[in-house]
Amino acid sequence: MPEFVIGIDLGTTNSALAYVPFSVSNGDRPEVKMFGVTQLVNPGETAELDLLPSALYLPGESEFVEGALALPWNERPPYITGQFARKRGVENATRLVTSAKSWLSNQSADPTQPILPLTAPEGVKKITPLEASREYLLHFRHAWNQAHPEAKFEHQSVLITVPASFDPAARELTQRAAKFAGYPEAIILEEPQAAFYAWIERNPNWREQVKPGDLILVVDIGGGTTDFSLIAVTEESGELRLDRVAVGEHLLLGGDNMDLAVARYAEQQFAQKGTRLDAIQFNSLWQQCRAAKEVLLSGSSSLPEEHPLTILGRGTGLIGGTIRGKITRHEISSLLLDGFFPRVNADAAPERQRRAALMEVGLNYAADPAVTKHLAQFLRNAAKSAGSGELARPSHLLLNGGVLQAAAIEQRLFEVVNSWIQEAGKIGVIELQNESKQADLMHAVARGAAYYGLARTGSGVRIRGGVPRTYYVGIESSLPAVPGLQLPMKAFTVVPFGLEEGSTIELPQKKFALVVGEPAEFRFFSSLSRKSDAPGVLLEEISEDMDELAPIEVFLPPQDNGAREEVVPVTLESNVTETGMLELWCVAADGRRWKLEFSVRERADGVSVSS
Amino acid sequence: MSRVSAAFRSFFSILFSGVLPEDIAYQFGFTKAKAVPATPAREAPKASDGALQILHVLQRDARLVDFLMEDINSYSDDQIGAAVRKLHADCRASLTRHLSLNPVIDGIEGTYQALDGSKTPDANRIKLIGNVPANGKVPGGTLRHRGWIASSVNLPSLGKQDPAILAPAELEIE
Repeated sequence: MPEFVIGIDLGTTNSALAYVPFSVSNGDRPEVKMFGVTQLVNPGETAELDLLPSALYLPGESEFVEGALALPWNERPPYITGQFARKRGVENATRLVTSAKSWLSNQSADPTQPILPLTAPEGVKKITPLEASREYLLHFRHAWNQAHPEAKFEHQSVLITVPASFDPAARELTQRAAKFAGYPEAIILEEPQAAFYAWIERNPNWREQVKPGDLILVVDIGGGTTDFSLIAVTEESGELRLDRVAVGEHLLLGGDNMDLAVARYAEQQFAQKGTRLDAIQFNSLWQQCRAAKEVLLSGSSSLPEEHPLTILGRGTGLIGGTIRGKITRHEISSLLLDGFFPRVNADAAPERQRRAALMEVGLNYAADPAVTKHLAQFLRNAAKSAGSGELARPSHLLLNGGVLQAAAIEQRLFEVVNSWIQEAGKIGVIELQNESKQADLMHAVARGAAYYGLARTGSGVRIRGGVPRTYYVGIESSLPAVPGLQLPMKAFTVVPFGLEEGSTIELPQKKFALVVGEPAEFRFFSSLSRKSDAPGVLLEEISEDMDELAPIEVFLPPQDNGAREEVVPVTLESNVTETGMLELWCVAADGRRWKLEFSVRERADGVSVSS
Repeated sequence: MSRVSAAFRSFFSILFSGVLPEDIAYQFGFTKAKAVPATPAREAPKASDGALQILHVLQRDARLVDFLMEDINSYSDDQIGAAVRKLHADCRASLTRHLSLNPVIDGIEGTYQALDGSKTPDANRIKLIGNVPANGKVPGGTLRHRGWIASSVNLPSLGKQDPAILAPAELEIE
């Protein structure tokens, strides 16, 4: 019997662990706590911090004095994880791994290939994005076991959060990373839901704040991703019920991009005065811009108009080389508020053209940095697929993420969402607030995960959501081939929108012939907005609101008993596990089953299986 | 062994490491209880190591040594001010992370502070100034400076790090 529920926010730039005991002796409500993660902060120096920066440094053999990297549980760790990795990475970026999470959901590179760090010099043994994720999870396990030898991590109930927009392959990779890190079977939870659970945890009287018919918009702006979800409040036999009704597209755009944009601007200001900054100076500038943002956009009435930026000289001359600059509130407002959160109309659509400033080798950053445009599009799509007017009109707004520590950003988001809703003469959106807001913005996802883990075993409230997309398998039409013309594809609905945990759907409508001993591949599509396609339905064409994912594969191993059967007719079956993982199976008439693997390979024009 | 040399060695050994050198102890008839080998053959830390380590930390986190060793005569107050503001913030953050500093007397400076008049105050903690009576016993006085006490020190173990290196030279490979 586990003693604790452990919630892990495996973030793009920061990770955190929250925990809560299953029961407390005096009958009080169990309290969710943040776990201080022991990590290296300087050579030879460890500290317990609430956040574990998702950074991994690959040290060279003689780079550090012997023993300088020792952790309480490992004298000679192969990598540096956390705070010191990030710090040393500034000085030597070619050995630093960051944003591993973004690579898990990336379709242009295989996350099981050793590709990180991208710019590592010849001779450095690169690691895979999957291994990097495993290292963070492993660090949590070791640090926990160090602090709680009496309640081993392996015996606890563990939840890991992922962006709501993560596709099945990325969710499975997260699950696999956890398995590699020696975790017990972990439950996967979506981040915006976790943020909402954190609000419930902080507000025991939450039932008085929402009522049936309400629609809650959760905007979660993490370090590297932005996630939208809509949660509907309904009533079922006198009890409030929560349904997650829509999630947004995967948006690779977060608080780090915003701080970086300010730092790049400040760097240009220095450059105009003839000063070029090196990597270490730029990093110092970046940190100061982050601090400047929080001060200048704090929303307090006695706002300073500008914030100094001081770049100390390199070398032993400190004052001689010091460069001074400043950034004004006006500049930072126009960069962040107008750049990332512009006041736009409800019909605004994000631009498809890429902005160079947001590019990094390999990762598909959102082309348009305007979060509000993405949000408008999300609300329109949500309304369209629910068949309810032009725009989904949330009644409540829950904001989460470190970037919202700048109160002016929070106000702007609130104001913009309200402008869309009040246009139609409705009452405005109500913001859901937490009491200890500042700390929560960074920790809510981990806290909410721990709370949910507790709630799912007891009578606590659960958000019903299920799979946030509809999934299809592509089937080639059996028309005679015409040279130069692609055969039209049909779409066979295999997973309906909202399929819940623990349910299975059989799809006898379509039989597939699989060849033993040969890998078979299916083209795989998903849609965020087609919510009414029933399982087993064959659609005549791939419509525009479907996205093609990496293909899914199955391999039927040859039989041992020598009875060679060449072709096995199978039907498909889809199933969502209790831990929230989507699985697709091939089932033969005699009951044998093979699991379809979500491929992580680069998407290519795969050969589809004939039906 | 000459008496002068033995005396000096004993004096400094006790002063800095708190023990009598073993050969001298033996010669004078003191024998040690069988020592339990604590950590295998590690060089005993010198008294100066802690001092150097603090400098190392303040240089690393806030570049204090760079600042103190720089000739600042040619710079304007403005230039110095800009750098020192950051240096001050960094030094303070570093210091508070490694030491917890508290006032010796947590009172308001400039106001009367009562003491136990029946005994002389601990000279470590309280320095009497001005019209101090011959027996050193005072019922109180005006608090001029609250004093500082490091109530806890939290420095990492040095390990194999050379304490004499306050900052390594940095070479950038282009």
